[in-house]
Amino acid sequence: MAAEPFARLADRQHALRTALRALRAAGPGSPDFPALLAATDKEVEAVLQARRDVEAARLTVPNRATAAGTSVAALVVAVGWFDAWSLLSLVLAVATAAAVLVDPTGRTHWEPRARTAAISAALLAVLLTPLLNGWAALITAAGIAWWARRTLG
Amino acid sequence: MKDIDPVKALDDKVERLKKDVKSLGIRIDNAQTDAAQQKLSTTNQFRDTNRKITRTGDRVTELAESVHRLERLLVALNRKVRASETQKADFDTWPEVPDSLVATILAGQEAYARKTFTQQEAKNTRKAIAEYDRAALAAIDAADALTTLPAHAEALWRKKYREWRTITGRHRPELPDDDTHARDTAAKAAGNEAVARVRQTIRDRIEDAVARDLLFPAWFENMLGPAAPPGKADDWLHTATDVVLYRLLHGITSPADALGPAPKEQGHRRDLHDRLVVECADYRKP
Repeated sequence: MAAEPFARLADRQHALRTALRALRAAGPGSPDFPALLAATDKEVEAVLQARRDVEAARLTVPNRATAAGTSVAALVVAVGWFDAWSLLSLVLAVATAAAVLVDPTGRTHWEPRARTAAISAALLAVLLTPLLNGWAALITAAGIAWWARRTLG
Repeated sequence: MKDIDPVKALDDKVERLKKDVKSLGIRIDNAQTDAAQQKLSTTNQFRDTNRKITRTGDRVTELAESVHRLERLLVALNRKVRASETQKADFDTWPEVPDSLVATILAGQEAYARKTFTQQEAKNTRKAIAEYDRAALAAIDAADALTTLPAHAEALWRKKYREWRTITGRHRPELPDDDTHARDTAAKAAGNEAVARVRQTIRDRIEDAVARDLLFPAWFENMLGPAAPPGKADDWLHTATDVVLYRLLHGITSPADALGPAPKEQGHRRDLHDRLVVECADYRKP
């Protein structure tokens, strides 16, 4: 099961290599070049998707685990270091953790690792909330911004 | 007899004055009645005159219409009379203008319509093509790197993918062709020469038809009128030659409509069509 995305990536990379060989042989001046370029572009997208699947397979469990840890830590901090102002950071972190728990890897090319970054930032924010109170929310916000940039950009 | 009593005398005087005033009143009434009667009759006269003028206007319009009808009848009759007696001018068959000559003219017009590259444009295009080719090879190299990268090296994947994307949205510019340029120049020169020759042929035939007082074809008279307007013979001949050349080049054979329907697409033919329509409308004006 775990080997399957790797095998698919290898297959896709092989197919891309073949497409590129044809593209290189035709050369940019050839009349077939635009069609070959479009075909190769599809192969490139397929390789990117296969790589994302590999990343997703690798990061699903760690992301979920971090999200679950963040939720638990937020609960502990909320109870142990209760402060109304800190609740902002905790609520934001729990919301991020919920989103990552539901879908730990996302769909776009660079999203699995972007979600890792976002949930790590949320965990860090929760752990620092006793020190920084509500200001720790900024760390989570930065993580979310990073995630959005990787997903949309 | 003089009245001694002053009161009586005064009474008499008052009586006389009363009579005078009364007669004056009567006279004023009479005058008013006269004036009213006069005014009424003037108004009536005015109305009559107006009615007459309107009737005359209607009559003039009717006359103008009948003159117009007569004019057209005269033209038609003139044609019929001349048709029975005179020879007809033939502006539809041109054995002295072979198809190859027409093809040469059309090729020349096409060459004019084609966008020509200036030296600088050709240079820029070549530079853009070289740039595209270089970018394409770089993009292919980047895509090649994607085939060997390990899955976890995300930064490298992103970098190479970005390099690949630089080429996918672009198009390679068309290569300017030196041969096309030279061919176009030759085609334009040959086209100009052919146009001059054909125009001369057509003009000669029209002048001959005018000199021998031949009957023009119906489409010709519809478009250019029955004869050259006074003082504008040369312009008229020029336009007539253009109309005949237009029919010849674009294969218009309608016996009544000289130029046929207006071409839909913009271009030289459309411009010429519009120009001829305007010029001929000038010649048909009374």
